[in-house]
Amino acid sequence: MSSFKDFQDSFQRGILERDDTILGDVKDSATESRSVLFGVYRHAYVARLAEILGDDYERVHAYLGDEGFARLVKAYIDANPSDRRSARWFGRHMPTFARETAPFSNHREVSEIAALEKALSDAFDGPNAEPLSIDQLAALAVDDWPRLVFQPHPTTIRLTFTTNAADIWSALKDETAPPKLERFPEPQALLVWRQDFMAHFRPFGAEESMMWNEAARGVRFGVLCEMVAMFGGEDEAELRAATYLRGWIDLGLLTGFKLE
Amino acid sequence: MNTNKPPFLGFGLGLRPQHYEEILSGSPAIDWFEVLSENYMIAGGQPLHILDQICERYPVVMHGVSLSIASTAKLDMDYLRDLKTLAERVKPKWISDHLCWTGVHGVNLHDLLPIPYTEEALNHVVDRVSQVQDFLGRRLTLENVSSYVTFGQSEMTEWEFVSEVANRADCWLLFDINNVYVSSFNHGFSTDDFLQGIPRDRVVQFHVAGHSHEDDHIVDTHDHPVCNEVWDFYREAVTHFGRVSTMIERDDNIPPLAELVEELDHARDIAREVGETARATAAE
Repeated sequence: MSSFKDFQDSFQRGILERDDTILGDVKDSATESRSVLFGVYRHAYVARLAEILGDDYERVHAYLGDEGFARLVKAYIDANPSDRRSARWFGRHMPTFARETAPFSNHREVSEIAALEKALSDAFDGPNAEPLSIDQLAALAVDDWPRLVFQPHPTTIRLTFTTNAADIWSALKDETAPPKLERFPEPQALLVWRQDFMAHFRPFGAEESMMWNEAARGVRFGVLCEMVAMFGGEDEAELRAATYLRGWIDLGLLTGFKLE
Repeated sequence: MNTNKPPFLGFGLGLRPQHYEEILSGSPAIDWFEVLSENYMIAGGQPLHILDQICERYPVVMHGVSLSIASTAKLDMDYLRDLKTLAERVKPKWISDHLCWTGVHGVNLHDLLPIPYTEEALNHVVDRVSQVQDFLGRRLTLENVSSYVTFGQSEMTEWEFVSEVANRADCWLLFDINNVYVSSFNHGFSTDDFLQGIPRDRVVQFHVAGHSHEDDHIVDTHDHPVCNEVWDFYREAVTHFGRVSTMIERDDNIPPLAELVEELDHARDIAREVGETARATAAE
């Protein structure tokens, strides 16, 4: 192994593991000791990553306060050395980390607020795609409608929350006091997507959420209508399915269709 | 490979999201923009949409922070492919990154880490620059970084190392005025020695920036206005290198655009004064 390779290995361990071997290579300056000088790099590493996480998870920070967020950030940095060239992806494991790591795992809303922040970022700079317009569908023969299979916009992300984390997020964004924590008896779905360059989210009712999941899996519209009928009752099931579909088109959640 | 020396672009700024609207809705007196490559290595959305509009209106150069040209890890071909794809979109006048390393063993420390100035490190960097230039089909532009430590094994000065890299690998240099000032303060060398030690024909860009004073050292934070000492050194650099594309680099505490344009005007004034003095001297 070359000495330059050894040097970089030692330098990196000096930062990540606070191993002092590298100090043997570093010279004291006229005014500062080598440990103070190398400490600039140790400090910068943690400070930079903490700043990245602070930018990415602004609402988690607001919810936990400075002290709580600093604990979360420190634990995350220790457990997740960055493995991507762009800082954009450093914090991507935060929702999973907060869900699985005590004491944050005891507060499910922390992980869910983080998941919403991450999904909004992912939607914001996710792939471009032209949204489907209602005129494109209006041109179809009525007989073709049951054969329609829809293509979701590539920025759509479906989340499932067990708490009112989305309401907490909204209050924190508006810089108002967050509502009292509420745990849902049943998990509730939320859809995140981008429209007109802005990332949005909206809650999904159980029936609409079911239909969205099936549509995203490539199930034909005719079958989707039958599933809606089974889920919420036959009365006006087609109308309900068509209303959901119209809403998705208005919000830019679909990019295309094919006939199967 | 395109080996022509890049053109003089005038006086530019780093493109920052805080200024997107003002730049696109007005016509600020900015000749060109430097964009941070990694910020636009994304799939889509508003940042790329804005970037396209900026590229239609202004000359643009790409500036990266994660090439890790001096790392002993394998070259990250995924990163280089993404960089090349972005370059095809932006058509930058040049592509720059830092003469440093950012990590090994698959880790990125998100910092511009220092190199011991040894023959071994030099050979390694020269080889890597050549590989990257072959892949990108163009010459790279490398920037000197600020550093806070020096190493016992160094066999040459920083300016000797930088010059050797540029000459042997046949690449361009981005001369960061502030970084030379910061390192000279931290390591006790003369900024003039650095200046005189760099080959004039290799320098295609200046960075001018602010920094933070700690107790007994300076940290290159790029979050303050440019101080008088750095402006003085800029004047010396313009006198030495002549007309070089100049950019005010602010990475944090981003002020209103007008404030940066004012700093840019100050750089223009200095360059004009230096030019007038040089012409008057030549006419004598």
